[in-house]
Amino acid sequence: MSDISRPVTKRVLLMGTCLCDAFYDDVARASVEVLEHLGVTVEFPEDQTCCGQPAFNSGDWATSRKVARHCASVFAGELPVIVPSGSCAAMNFHGNPLQFEECPDASVDSLAKRSWEVLDYIVNGLGITTWPGEFKTPTKIAFHRSCHSRGTGTGEAAMTLLASIKNAEVLSFGQAEQCCGFGGTFSVTFPHISGRMGSLKLDHVLENHPDVLTSGDMSCLMHLDGLARVQGRAVPYKHVVQLMRDSLVKNAD
Amino acid sequence: MFNVSTPMLNVQPIDLYAQRISDEKQASVIDGSSAGTEKRYAVLGKDYKDPDSLRKLAGSIKDHTLHHLDHYLEKAEAALVKNGAHVHFADTDDDARNTILEILRSHGVTRLTKSKSMAAEEIHLNPFLIKNGIECLESDLGEFIIQLDNDEPSHIVKPIIHLNRRDIAKTFLREGVSQTYNDDPRTITNQARVHLRKKYFEAEAGITGANFVSAESGRLVLVTNEGNARFGMAPTPVHIALVGIEKIVPTDRDFGVFLNLLGRSATGQQLTVYTQFINGPKSSNQPDGPEHMHVVFMNNGRTDVLESNCREILRCIRCGACQNVCPVYRQASGHAYRSNYGGPVGAVLSPLLFGDRFPEFADLPKASSLCGACNEVCPVDIPIPDLLLRLRDKAKREKVPSAGAIPMSPFGVLATSPSLWRTAMTMSKAMNHLPIEVAPIKPLQDWLGQRTLPDWHGGDFRKWLRGRKEKS
Amino acid sequence: MSRDSVFSKLRSTTSALKVRAPYPEYDSAVVHSAPRLEGSDLWEIFSRNFKAVSGRAMTTVDELLEFLLKDGSKHGYCDPSLFDAIGSKLVAAGLKVETEFDRERYDDYQFGITRGSGAIAESGTLIIDDFRTSRRLAALSPWIHVGCILRSEVVRTIPNAIATFGDCPNIIWVTGPSKTADVEGILIEGVHGPGEQIALLI
Repeated sequence: MSDISRPVTKRVLLMGTCLCDAFYDDVARASVEVLEHLGVTVEFPEDQTCCGQPAFNSGDWATSRKVARHCASVFAGELPVIVPSGSCAAMNFHGNPLQFEECPDASVDSLAKRSWEVLDYIVNGLGITTWPGEFKTPTKIAFHRSCHSRGTGTGEAAMTLLASIKNAEVLSFGQAEQCCGFGGTFSVTFPHISGRMGSLKLDHVLENHPDVLTSGDMSCLMHLDGLARVQGRAVPYKHVVQLMRDSLVKNAD
Repeated sequence: MFNVSTPMLNVQPIDLYAQRISDEKQASVIDGSSAGTEKRYAVLGKDYKDPDSLRKLAGSIKDHTLHHLDHYLEKAEAALVKNGAHVHFADTDDDARNTILEILRSHGVTRLTKSKSMAAEEIHLNPFLIKNGIECLESDLGEFIIQLDNDEPSHIVKPIIHLNRRDIAKTFLREGVSQTYNDDPRTITNQARVHLRKKYFEAEAGITGANFVSAESGRLVLVTNEGNARFGMAPTPVHIALVGIEKIVPTDRDFGVFLNLLGRSATGQQLTVYTQFINGPKSSNQPDGPEHMHVVFMNNGRTDVLESNCREILRCIRCGACQNVCPVYRQASGHAYRSNYGGPVGAVLSPLLFGDRFPEFADLPKASSLCGACNEVCPVDIPIPDLLLRLRDKAKREKVPSAGAIPMSPFGVLATSPSLWRTAMTMSKAMNHLPIEVAPIKPLQDWLGQRTLPDWHGGDFRKWLRGRKEKS
Repeated sequence: MSRDSVFSKLRSTTSALKVRAPYPEYDSAVVHSAPRLEGSDLWEIFSRNFKAVSGRAMTTVDELLEFLLKDGSKHGYCDPSLFDAIGSKLVAAGLKVETEFDRERYDDYQFGITRGSGAIAESGTLIIDDFRTSRRLAALSPWIHVGCILRSEVVRTIPNAIATFGDCPNIIWVTGPSKTADVEGILIEGVHGPGEQIALLI
């Protein structure tokens, strides 16, 4: 996705994602605050709902296309669409072209060409490679690169931004390429395998004792934290934009 | 420790299989797969600055060939015939089996050895030949053990990835390959060497597959490590190669691309020990080797796949890298996929190849979190997650029943009605104060069986935004 | 007829494709492995890479003799055309060397010496083919195989080796002794093919 030239402007539309709408309001909030810190004006079209991924992954493309069309009309126009989620952004620029192959739609196509995952936008769109933040105390961070950001600039962008924060130490861990096991409805239709994958992932991300677990996708973190709590090994978790925003507030750590 | 088996019903067959697999088998599969993945990363990173561009090149060569397969297949046939090989075509698996039987009968063959061939597994060649009175012995060590156990291979490159040395020692003792129990790998290998050598010299034919076929010269490429394929073609007068029509590549020069990717992707080797290039029976001055070479080009549904919107899967060069890296394969093992093609490649190929049995295999494409690791390691850059999604769409359109599927229409209604959506967001706050563990919503129950759910904050972000607007 | 149905299906399928990908032109150099090609002398590069896959690269018959004696291998086969240069010297040292391979006594031959047709420096590969190999079985069945090549027959890369194919119907690239990792992923050398693979400069 890094080879399609997408628009970069100082005025953007925010696709908050249904997950943040339901559970993680602070992630959407931090996205706004981080972008505003960079001088970007953020608009939030109120009629937005979901990118359509759950139906798409289930193979119910008729339903998913309906949702995608709604999404495309809500985000119509020429402004970049910024998404604090690798998987939702990928739905816009990769999933939609796939499900609209037989029935091309100009508005859906337009959305595909303007969608950016937020960290990718900050580093590769706006050109920011240093984040002027500081943690109060040395903070060990385990960054999980979500699978849907494979083949995009997101993973590297996240590492660049995190590593630039003062007092941040980004840990490495084994088998980083392995999926956390969430996979949307996969987590409940293949519960045994999903749980085992998640436990294995926890074994690895926690192996160097991070102070906080982070990612560009709350879905992965929700699944991992959900498992970790039941297993008695939960650590605090935050989206990368939350860490970035928090590092600006002098009293936060 | 949490208990995964209650209260959920693991209705997806592959999930159920994964739950029931023995710890020992699981450990063998995970160790073997992870080792394969690590070796692949190490060797590609060491040898090439940009391995990904090589994978994409290989994928393009394959795509071009597949899109012009009628032309290239005909060229390959002509080249082989010119060199004195007999070329046969088999449209169905029945055709392939019967053609091979006829060839064997025409040469009076009653016993043969066979080197590893996924195409032969696909058509269940061994049981068919044995039923027809022909002794058909697997010569690859792993496949030989599988045959003794009356088992199925669970990986396309490492057929006994699911077994350990104790399993093998027991088998050898039971089948008389060994006189005593001995689970030392060196000893096991020596015993197989001695036992099979005698059979090689007694065999009247050798059957092989082929990894690639050059349209330019008709050369079949056979890639092995053990030397068993060479033994199928040194002491015997007849060689039969069963080859899927998608194995063709345009020129001999193109072998350079594929051979540099195959070994590294499969086992971390630049080249396997033996790379054989064969386009005819033995030369006239050579005392050893087959006087008769037969190539059976098999379709068996490949044209259907070429016609479908998943034709990219035909690029596959059977390296097994996708199986090695796949987290679902690692948990479930190859046998969970109920076909000789398992793992990511099998999840696409099996439902399509066995086309009239699509509903039977329609659950395979669902056994994936769509993580994309398979595409990342594929030497021909097959976009497997996209193909899995297309097959999920196909299953829905053809109304194939799906175990435990979550109906999406309610979601569709909600997600296209903004005001309904916003209401649902704020109303569901009540969930935070209710004992949701007892709510009769299956997906919720499945989630809560092993994970907690975060607090519901529906509508809070929008409220915050509105608050700011009012202030400013 | 099967041939007809296969081709008619293929033709109708390919002609109906909306897009038919063109052949991607490329330079064979993209498949070269730079780290493996370090060095300027092809035999030296070959020897290094052959050794890395447990092959033994030798430059004199004495080296071969020493190896065979140490290994306790006393009886083997030698291509008649190589008898003067190699076989006779082994006989002189007390080994039994036959210039015929009797397949009824395959276990008698502890070593087989045949003429190779070349080598690939980049991958540490010995090339043998039907034209030069006096007997396929002699190169395959004994525990020790010795492939004899000239220095000038070593080529640099895999694409170079492919360019030398000519019209030989059976060419084998031998990259070390036979091996398997089927048992728990543990590498065992010497399976069905030779357990010792030697390349000898002649």
